Amino acid sequence: MKRRRSLFIHLSHIRLLAQKFALVILFISAFALMLVNKTDTVLIEKTSSAATDIVSPVIDVLVIPAKVVARFYDYFKDLKEIHADNQRLKEENRKLNNLFDRARALEIENKLLADLLNYVTPPEASFVTARVIAEEGDAFSHSIVAYIGGSKVRKGQVALSDKGVVGRVDRMGKMYARIILITDINSKIPVMVEKTRVRGILSGDNTTTPKMIFIPLDAEIAIGDRIVTSGVAGVFPAGLPVGKVVSLDKNEIRIKPFSNLDQLEYIKLVDYGLSGALVDADEGAE
Amino acid sequence: MSEDIDENITSLFQRILPLATSVLLLMISYIPLDFSLFNNIRPAIGIICVYFWVNHRPDLFNLWSVYFLGLLDDIISASPFGSNILALLVLYVLITNTSRFINAKPFIVTWYWFALLSMVTMLARWLVVSVYYSQFLPLTILGFSYLVTAAAYPLVSLLLAYIQNRWIQDEE
Repeated sequence: MKRRRSLFIHLSHIRLLAQKFALVILFISAFALMLVNKTDTVLIEKTSSAATDIVSPVIDVLVIPAKVVARFYDYFKDLKEIHADNQRLKEENRKLNNLFDRARALEIENKLLADLLNYVTPPEASFVTARVIAEEGDAFSHSIVAYIGGSKVRKGQVALSDKGVVGRVDRMGKMYARIILITDINSKIPVMVEKTRVRGILSGDNTTTPKMIFIPLDAEIAIGDRIVTSGVAGVFPAGLPVGKVVSLDKNEIRIKPFSNLDQLEYIKLVDYGLSGALVDADEGAE
Repeated sequence: MSEDIDENITSLFQRILPLATSVLLLMISYIPLDFSLFNNIRPAIGIICVYFWVNHRPDLFNLWSVYFLGLLDDIISASPFGSNILALLVLYVLITNTSRFINAKPFIVTWYWFALLSMVTMLARWLVVSVYYSQFLPLTILGFSYLVTAAAYPLVSLLLAYIQNRWIQDEE
């Protein structure tokens, strides 16, 4: 009896030790994963992309009932505002017609001037429209997962909403792509002030208003200035709308993105045929 | 014979239910909604599920379940790989070492305790990720996220308690 009891105590002691050992091993493995991620190897990228492709379809299915509820709510909300919307749209249409006439005149003028200068027009961009299925925005990261349905998408491709730049493709699987938003801490985009052409880098910091850094000391920037991509580094083309200046401090300039990054439903992943610095990085990784 | 099979299936169902519900809730928490405040400050569902199940059913939600849930959270989110695992493991250690103090205590005590442990967990993750990026992450958003998580605990735990009482039976 005594022997049996001591054997039981012995076994439970071993089990406790094994559990503690497992805990230590798991802690070490979590740290190891972070270290491997920091070195940004191709291995972790491919594994993560494959895992996203497995997990995302489940979220994609879960989105359906949530969308149905949201659509019902929107339908009844829209009914209330339909008359005011109609008036506003009529006014907007009138203004757009005027702008269209002006744009057509400018287009003809532009073509004439381009012919005069023997200007070679760049190739037209191709794009994929992708549905957003998962969204994340907290103190640790700002990203979305979009369904690309087997379309060819490259790392670094720009993601646009109807209002401007929202981010860039970070990882892609066969059916889903992860897009890092411009507010994410990993996002660094070469931008410029549209009016004064002052260049800088738009750097996300996981807040809703990213910072503009590396600006010349004597730069003239005012609140409300429009910020567009500068095209430096050859990843994004120049002139894509990004946001506007909302705060000017001694130490930092904050930009509010034009796109509502909290409510993205569909995005456009545009291939401008540019790969710039990313080609070198990928080649280096391989 | 068929009774044995039925019993085995029921037992398997009960064993995987805590992890399965946690995985489902975690995925639901990433669904984009037309509600900008929610999209920026979401409750940390992983923390709520780990706290609830490790406290209530440590036999069905063990260390490996915690690790798996953290791994899944890392896969879905774009935060540094391993940071969610690390945070949930910290929470697991905290719960297993303190659960005897809150056993059979009123719900309000459990809730207060959750508020404390989730704060420690979130700060631990904030510290690790800040070191990873070599810069401090915004504490304001973290603070709001913490408040939303603490506020969401009663609701989520009510759902989990219902699942536990309805489908998971105590072993005789």
